[in-house]
Amino acid sequence: MVVLIATAALALFGIGLTIAGRPPGRELTIAVGVVVALLAVQAVIAAARVFGGVTLPETGTFLIYLGVSVCVLPIALQWASADENSRWGGAVVAVAAGGTAVAVLRLQGLWAAAGG
Amino acid sequence: MGERARATASGPGRVLIAVYGIFALSATARAGVQIATRFAEAPVAYLLSALAGVVYIVATLGLAGRGRTARRLAWTAVIFELVGVLTVGAVTVLDSGDFPDDTVWSVFGRGYGFVPLVLPLVGLWWLWHTRPR
Repeated sequence: MVVLIATAALALFGIGLTIAGRPPGRELTIAVGVVVALLAVQAVIAAARVFGGVTLPETGTFLIYLGVSVCVLPIALQWASADENSRWGGAVVAVAAGGTAVAVLRLQGLWAAAGG
Repeated sequence: MGERARATASGPGRVLIAVYGIFALSATARAGVQIATRFAEAPVAYLLSALAGVVYIVATLGLAGRGRTARRLAWTAVIFELVGVLTVGAVTVLDSGDFPDDTVWSVFGRGYGFVPLVLPLVGLWWLWHTRPR
C-alpha cells in the first residue's frame, strides 16, 4: 500500500515537473531513488517469502513482476535525464511510475490469490 | 542545414517511447511466461502475444533511433500494430472462441485500459508530425 502511494506520488511529481516546464534535475533523481528503495525492500521481502516456502499460483510470473517493478524506474530515469534540456523528462518518469504501479497491483493480486 | 526531420526521440516523443518501452517489456515478458508454462492451452493466442511483444520492441527501437532506416522501421511497426489491434480486437469482440486466453490486443486492448488502441494512433501522429519536410 505504501509502495502504491509512493508510485502515485512520484507520477504526480513527474507530471508536475512537465507542466511547470522544468527539466529533470536532482529532486527527480532523489524522488525516484526513494521509490525504488521502497520497491527493492518490497521485492527482497517478497522473494524471501516465496523462496521460503510460500506457494503461489504463478511463481514465475510473480518473480518477473517483482523484477520489473524494481527495474523500470531506474531505466526510465536514465531515459528522462539523457535529454537534459527537455521538460518531458518528468512525464517519462510519470509513465514509468504508472507502469510500476500496475506491476505492483498485479503482484498484490497474485499474492492475495495465494492467500498469503 | 536544409529541411531536416525532427528526431522522433525529442520532446514529448521521449514519453511516447517510454510507453512503447513498457509495453514492449510487459507484452514480451507475459508472452514468454505463457509460452513457457502453458503453450498447449492456447497456442494461437500466445504466439500472437509474442508477435505483439516483438512489434512493440521494433516500434520502440525505431522511434528511439535516428535516421531514415529507424523512421521506416517505426512506420512499419506502428502500422502493423494498428492493423493488429484492430483485427484482433474485432475478431475477439465477434467471436471469443478462437482466443480462449487474453492477448494485449484482445477486445481492442481492454485488459490494458485500451492503451494498445490509442498508442498506434498517437505513434502515427507523432511520426507524421516529425516527418522530414
